[in-house]
Amino acid sequence: MIVRGIRHLMRAWRGGELGLLGFSLALAVAIVTGIAGFSDRLSRNMEQQSHHFLAADRVLKTARTVPDEWIAEAKKRDLRTAVVASFRSMVYAGDAMQLASIKAVTDGYPLIGELGVSDVLFGMPQARTTGPQPGEMWLDSRLYALLNLQIGDTAAVGDKEFTAGRALISEPDQGGMNDMLAPRGMINYADLAATDVVQPGSLVTYRYLFAGTEQQLESYEVWLRPRLEDGQRWQGVRDGQPAMATTIKRAEGYLLLAASLGVALAGAAIALAARRYGERNTDNVAIMKALGASRKQVLIHYGTQLGLLCIGAIVVGGMGGQGLQWALFTSLKELLTVDVPGASWRPFMVGAVTAFGCTAVFAMPPVFRLSKVSPMRVLRRAGDDESAGLLVSALTGIGGIGLLMWWYSEDLLLSSAVLAAALVIGVLASVLVLYLISFARRVLINRSGSALRLALAAMYRRRFGNAFQVASFALSLMALTCLGLLRTSLLEDWQLQLPTDAPNHFLINIQPSEITPLSSFFDEHKLKDAGLFPMVRGRLTHIDQQKVSEIKDVDAESGSINRELNLSWAKDLPDDNQLLSGLWWSEIESENTDKIPVSIESELAEKLHIKLGTELEFNIGGQLLSAKVTSIRSLDWASMRPNFYFIFPPSTLDNYAGSYITSFYLPADQKALLGELLRQFPTFTLIEIDAVIQQMTLVVGQVSSAIGLVLILVVFCALLVGIANVQASLDSRLQENAILRTLGASKKLMISGLMIEFAAVGLLAGLLAAAGSNVALLGLQYWVLDMDVVFHGMVFIIAPLIGVVTMCLLAWISCRKLVNKPPLVVLRQTL
Amino acid sequence: MIRVNNLCKTVVTGGQQLDILKGISFEIKAGESVAIVGASGAGKSTLLGLLAGLDNASSGEIYLHDENISLMNEDERASLRARHVGFVFQSFQLLPGLTALENVMLPLELAGHRSPAAAAQVFLDKVGLKDRGAHYPRVLSGGEQQRVALARAFAVEPDILFADEPTGNLDEHTGQRIVDLLFELNSQSKTTLVLVTHEAGLAHRCERILVMHDGQLSEEPVSASTTL
Repeated sequence: MIVRGIRHLMRAWRGGELGLLGFSLALAVAIVTGIAGFSDRLSRNMEQQSHHFLAADRVLKTARTVPDEWIAEAKKRDLRTAVVASFRSMVYAGDAMQLASIKAVTDGYPLIGELGVSDVLFGMPQARTTGPQPGEMWLDSRLYALLNLQIGDTAAVGDKEFTAGRALISEPDQGGMNDMLAPRGMINYADLAATDVVQPGSLVTYRYLFAGTEQQLESYEVWLRPRLEDGQRWQGVRDGQPAMATTIKRAEGYLLLAASLGVALAGAAIALAARRYGERNTDNVAIMKALGASRKQVLIHYGTQLGLLCIGAIVVGGMGGQGLQWALFTSLKELLTVDVPGASWRPFMVGAVTAFGCTAVFAMPPVFRLSKVSPMRVLRRAGDDESAGLLVSALTGIGGIGLLMWWYSEDLLLSSAVLAAALVIGVLASVLVLYLISFARRVLINRSGSALRLALAAMYRRRFGNAFQVASFALSLMALTCLGLLRTSLLEDWQLQLPTDAPNHFLINIQPSEITPLSSFFDEHKLKDAGLFPMVRGRLTHIDQQKVSEIKDVDAESGSINRELNLSWAKDLPDDNQLLSGLWWSEIESENTDKIPVSIESELAEKLHIKLGTELEFNIGGQLLSAKVTSIRSLDWASMRPNFYFIFPPSTLDNYAGSYITSFYLPADQKALLGELLRQFPTFTLIEIDAVIQQMTLVVGQVSSAIGLVLILVVFCALLVGIANVQASLDSRLQENAILRTLGASKKLMISGLMIEFAAVGLLAGLLAAAGSNVALLGLQYWVLDMDVVFHGMVFIIAPLIGVVTMCLLAWISCRKLVNKPPLVVLRQTL
Repeated sequence: MIRVNNLCKTVVTGGQQLDILKGISFEIKAGESVAIVGASGAGKSTLLGLLAGLDNASSGEIYLHDENISLMNEDERASLRARHVGFVFQSFQLLPGLTALENVMLPLELAGHRSPAAAAQVFLDKVGLKDRGAHYPRVLSGGEQQRVALARAFAVEPDILFADEPTGNLDEHTGQRIVDLLFELNSQSKTTLVLVTHEAGLAHRCERILVMHDGQLSEEPVSASTTL
């Protein structure tokens, strides 16, 4: 049967009917496999990169060393491990001393990512995969400057002397603010005991790093979880870096969205091609039936053809998808600093299931209809009623697209949002087009020139086909505009957050007396700062008279309650903060308040179950402060400006020792200025954010490049739908044009009529796409991508323009031969 | 071979009921050749379609090969056609995507013939298209296409052959040659022939002539002159 099926398929292929269907199917598989493989590998790559921020796959954070048994257990599971102990300590060099943030690392550190070191202070980093050897200390360039040290000199931590080997420029896991408050000194873990600075009760943070396969890590986590005590935190990539986690989540959402849209578009193209395939085989089936073929035989005949075509499409499309992935990653090579992980089997499975799904859902309904064709057709062409079948296949198609999208994106909300928008635009488009065509025919038919009349007549004759054409083209245009808009808003969002002169250095510990000299320093070197903010370090101890450590249902993961927080005071709401609920000071002054009012950041409030009116108690350097929450703010942590969880009214923190914080932008070529700054203000703590920003920019760059490439794929999909659309009407157009030309219509008239018809389709589709994409985008921005909602007016000009130009181009390319073909040839063929 | 009792066909078009066949009864014996003649719109093709089981009658009975096809479903009728019925159409109805040989092979394959290609080639030889087997219908002339159709009709060696205006799309000379071929093959295979035509010459080569008029059927002597 297979051999016979292949023979039939070859015959049908030679006949030319299956070409478009096969091509659509193969392209769908190629795009789906390509996008799935690409996004699969890209998101794994992004995750790998984000593992760099942990310097591991998982991290166990604890204030005490853990039992040796825990590490032994990890090693038993073939996990690689390393330990990092961080603490503050004085570093001495001759007479100079400076408080530094010391990191003692074992030989394996970093498990993932690289350290950047240099033989020159503030120099270009060279990559190293291990930390300092015993007896050696690597110091931050600033620490060299502060201690007046040269590379190769001796420096001491506690009782142990070290050779200051290199300048430490970057660490993979340098993201945490706490780490940056003091300049870094890095030593080997083996020297830790000899320093004698870590005593019982010392404030040390241990980070146990683990790396291995997902399976090994998960099995270890299952073993470890029950053994964890309060205050010990098991961190994955997503817990490590809030800003990065959001970016990755956003990127994933975006790629899945693109993939879903790709599936929907490919489905539309296949449905169109299959419809044409069915139509072109109707007469054949009538003949076969007249010759004695049963329904079952017809079904088997065409089912086998489609099945074999599907397998062919999977093979060809799968290879195409591989090529596509290769092309995508080649163009991204410069951006991908980590090796791209190998292809997995999943994209191939996704491609295969998509091919079979699309065949079953889109190509089989016309075949089922074929099996019902009346053999009476051989004598009289009069109509098989297709309307009932059309509704069923439309519903099957929509359901199929929905299921594929859901399975593909593994996100019910995302796929529902896209599908709902597609449905709404489809129904709207159909109704609108049917109404408009009838209206235009009634009103314009007697007033217009022949070309317009011809176009109108043609549109009216094919009004249902045209409605479908507008709907599907609107859908593809909508997909394009959605992607385009989303890309723009993603980039704008990031660019707004990270303008080129975003502050890249923080200065902390500025005393009130130093404000004026600092301002002069900034002015003198033309540096721009983000303003000075007062800051008091304190710990939140009680929520509504209950000890924070005793509150059971408070999210224990919330690091903010286990460490000192930066408290600030301000007269006005900071520029980039937004008041979500409650009142700012100016509005509550009149009220008689016995407690100091405080404003809290919204995410922290949610984590700690703090509401308006909740009473809080802080411990600031041993002194207690009671306050009552009077407002809740949202703020943008990625703005690189000093931000605070808690803000108090002016003068309420006067009794507590405080300092100021600021952030400023320093171009890379002025790095040397930092040494001068620290010499002039030796008590300042400098935090270099530019390395962090660089890493974030890299990820944003990757995302936007991926978006650009995916956009091109979707353009191909949309074009395919357009071609299938035109192809679907080609037969009837060919005959109509032949008859019209026989009756004396000029070529020019025919072309004008054709162009007007297609331009109208493009225009309508464009307008609908603009409206639909705005609606869809609002939903996506709000629910899925967690971004600010923006309305895009320009799309109402751009999308119709794209629609008209594309449709006219398509009409010209695919219908030119239609006009040029001698009518006699056409008529002889159709007799 | 064919027995028709009180056959009626009514269709509704544009909200109006139209009686195409109004209670027709007749019988055709095995091996007979019968022409159904009548003006355009008299219901000739409808009758032919019903006889071949391509369509359902509104009422009445049709016995084909002693089987009541009025009681059969579509697939049973198709199976009956595959075993017993051949077809020749006015517009040839060759599948454009298949070569001449493949077109002839098609009914043989449907009937489960063991070596369809060889059998099809035999019939292509018989209709004088020995060397045209690899050609597609679009490169064949009208006469050649109808020869392929004849080869296709006779290849399954049917008991009954239905022909719908077999010369309708051909010039007189070519039509004549096709008719000669049709009757030659018919006499070789002893097939019952039912043909619909409006050509007097063709009708008179049949043993019997049935005239359709206003949904009614009457038999006319073969010798009588017919005004069509």
